Amino acid sequence: MAGPLEGFRVIELAEGVAGPYCGSALGDAGADVIKIEKPAGDRARGWGSRAKGDLGAVFQSINRSTRSIALDPDSAEGAAIVKKLIAGADVVVADAGFTKHPDLQPEALLAAQPKLIYVNLTEFGEEGPQANLPPYGELVAQLASEATTSLGNIGEATVRLGNDNASMYAGIFATQAICAALFAVDQQGGQKIDVSLFGAMLFMRSTLWVALSNPDFWWGFHLDSYVKPPEYGYMCSDGAIMLSLNGVTQEQRDAIYKEFDMEWVRDDPMFKMFNEDTAGVGRYAHVVRPLWDKGLSKFPMDHVITKMRELGGQAWPKNTYEMMVNSDQVKFIKMVQPVETPEGPLDQMVPPWEFADTPAEIQRPAPRLGEHAADVLTEAGFTAAEVAAFKSRGVLANT
Amino acid sequence: MAEGPLSGIRVFDLTLAMVGPWASMQLGAMGADVIHIEQPDQRPGAFMVPPTINGTSIGYISWNMNKRGMTIDLKSPEGRANAYELLKTCDVFLMNMRPDVAARLGVDYETVAQINPRIVYCTVTGWGQTGPMRELPGADGQVQYFTGGSDANGAEGESGEIYRHSTQFDSTTGNYACMSILMALVGRKKTGKGQRIDISMLKATTAMQTPRIAEYLMSKQSPTRLGNKAQSTAPDRAFPTADRRELGVSATSEEEWQALCKAIGHLEFLEDPRFATNTDRVDHRDELYAALDPIFASMPLDYWVLELNKVGVPNGRAMRWDEIRHNDQVLENNYIGPVETKDWGKVWTSMGPWHFSNTPTRWFRTPAIGEHNDEILEEIEAHRAGQSSQPAGRGQ
Repeated sequence: MAGPLEGFRVIELAEGVAGPYCGSALGDAGADVIKIEKPAGDRARGWGSRAKGDLGAVFQSINRSTRSIALDPDSAEGAAIVKKLIAGADVVVADAGFTKHPDLQPEALLAAQPKLIYVNLTEFGEEGPQANLPPYGELVAQLASEATTSLGNIGEATVRLGNDNASMYAGIFATQAICAALFAVDQQGGQKIDVSLFGAMLFMRSTLWVALSNPDFWWGFHLDSYVKPPEYGYMCSDGAIMLSLNGVTQEQRDAIYKEFDMEWVRDDPMFKMFNEDTAGVGRYAHVVRPLWDKGLSKFPMDHVITKMRELGGQAWPKNTYEMMVNSDQVKFIKMVQPVETPEGPLDQMVPPWEFADTPAEIQRPAPRLGEHAADVLTEAGFTAAEVAAFKSRGVLANT
Repeated sequence: MAEGPLSGIRVFDLTLAMVGPWASMQLGAMGADVIHIEQPDQRPGAFMVPPTINGTSIGYISWNMNKRGMTIDLKSPEGRANAYELLKTCDVFLMNMRPDVAARLGVDYETVAQINPRIVYCTVTGWGQTGPMRELPGADGQVQYFTGGSDANGAEGESGEIYRHSTQFDSTTGNYACMSILMALVGRKKTGKGQRIDISMLKATTAMQTPRIAEYLMSKQSPTRLGNKAQSTAPDRAFPTADRRELGVSATSEEEWQALCKAIGHLEFLEDPRFATNTDRVDHRDELYAALDPIFASMPLDYWVLELNKVGVPNGRAMRWDEIRHNDQVLENNYIGPVETKDWGKVWTSMGPWHFSNTPTRWFRTPAIGEHNDEILEEIEAHRAGQSSQPAGRGQ
């Protein structure tokens, strides 16, 4: 088997990040994913570095393992083609408002296909004053879910998450929901599922909502993330590290002070706080950090990490992506592997799950716009003459 | 009454701290009967995480909802026999402890698969089952630093900073564990067999960072910090407004860019070659924002929300919890709801990220440790005596 989802067909009517990541994950797991693009193509096609041909890095990474057909789903002929493709599919994953054609709305499709699973991706959900907005506002969802309060300094310009958390989480939850619905479809029938960027972020931050329920004391990293300054790591001579002394004994602390020539810290007026607080997420960690920086900055990070671990502390390098990708562990587990593309091999990360019996893998590189139109239409039962007619009349874009 | 999509599925949930519990909590929300198994002599790690109410930690109370609680001493013959009997009725085994612990407790894959070949057996580790880091502990902070996640966040000109809501890479990993279990359950409908799944925090959390890491893999340039600006799209940032607030604007398609220019009354930007395509706008990001900043600074936030909504440009503003809690959009979508707990009284939490039209999810409080011992032991005895209403692998 190519993966646990082999044999299922998915129609993707989505662009940007959330929907395509969902489609690509299903494709990595073995599903046959057909990506419907408008004639102009997915908005993300040019995103990120374009060192390899026309396809940007972002598009390449979250659209692999899918096939593309490009047409106008709002046109009568385009909608008829999409409808026929959906008739042969198990799942539709669609951005809200991707097409206005009445035949392609979820209610019409579910009425015709009672076992269809239809995921409606939105920014803010299906109800309320902001119902059914399309899922393209990454920063919008980060702001609305107050995620940006866990970054930057109070009173200064907002700092966003550098990663596309809201969109990626929505893609992950859409993938989960599709699998759960596929599991249940024989007994419980098809259905419509709503996943939004905002709802995804509210779920991911739910520990905070619970923590705010009148706790015994107002601190701990679930609460003081609101008020702490940025945490940049602990400075060594050649880079920053993460440090945590959670659970370290007084004896181990004394050995750490000795190892790093930090006996002078005992004379510092802040020593009591320094000696009692847990480095890293401790309540006063940011207050006493300059003392650690003063001591540790005399030593290279590899040395500090090794010695700290020996002495019972937790220490980790603050990696760039370059350092992470080139680390021994990442190389050992072969997490990055080249995928053959028309422009030559392109490094990609392998799928995150390891299935012992149904190995999931990258099925194919991200498609060119409309690359698979003829194959997809022929498989769906259109004759060669019909496909040729679509092409000559311009119904199929970019063919 | 309609049931969740996983009704009929039973989970042997040998998890602690956050990563594993977060995954099984989602399976429970979807209707699975999740039995959270804890060792009687073990003080759960999640009990240490502040804040607490009445001695119960935030972590424990918020990551173990939607489950039944049971204590089993897996080191005693009687406990192990009960666990094995229970495993015959389970569809999923989930554990986030090191592999050697599974063998020591008698629940390694070979043993469990022999007891129940239909079981989906998922283990979660920090760094993988192999490699030089396989023995090292993993948790959110370590993983944020090691994977480069913290290097991608930060104000312009600063070095990278931690996302201080330091649970997100734990829960990200839990999300992928839940996803992989669901995939394997779908696959089992065809093969009739369970299988083994390995999830690591390293692979899961880098998967969530796919777009940024892909940019690095292609360009060999690690990202610079851009404050609230997006890396690969523009205009996509928070703009200060006349009333000293911030408006988030993400115009990431050409249609949205054209609509934005119309809404702000500057159609001449559409003729400017520096701003012709998203790639051009990213390449001339500083000039673009220099042109847009005074425009957004000229009117209050609510004005721009109204104008941009009219033309369909994604936009929004920051909310804080006190506002989220009472927000129409949140309440009408049932994104947040109350749960009555024993130690914490009524808490408000997420009602889950998915809404199923036909198989509704559910959300109920974390059990006390061993709260359901008696009823589950009765079920085990009944199964042993052949009187169970739940045959082996009652899931499909």
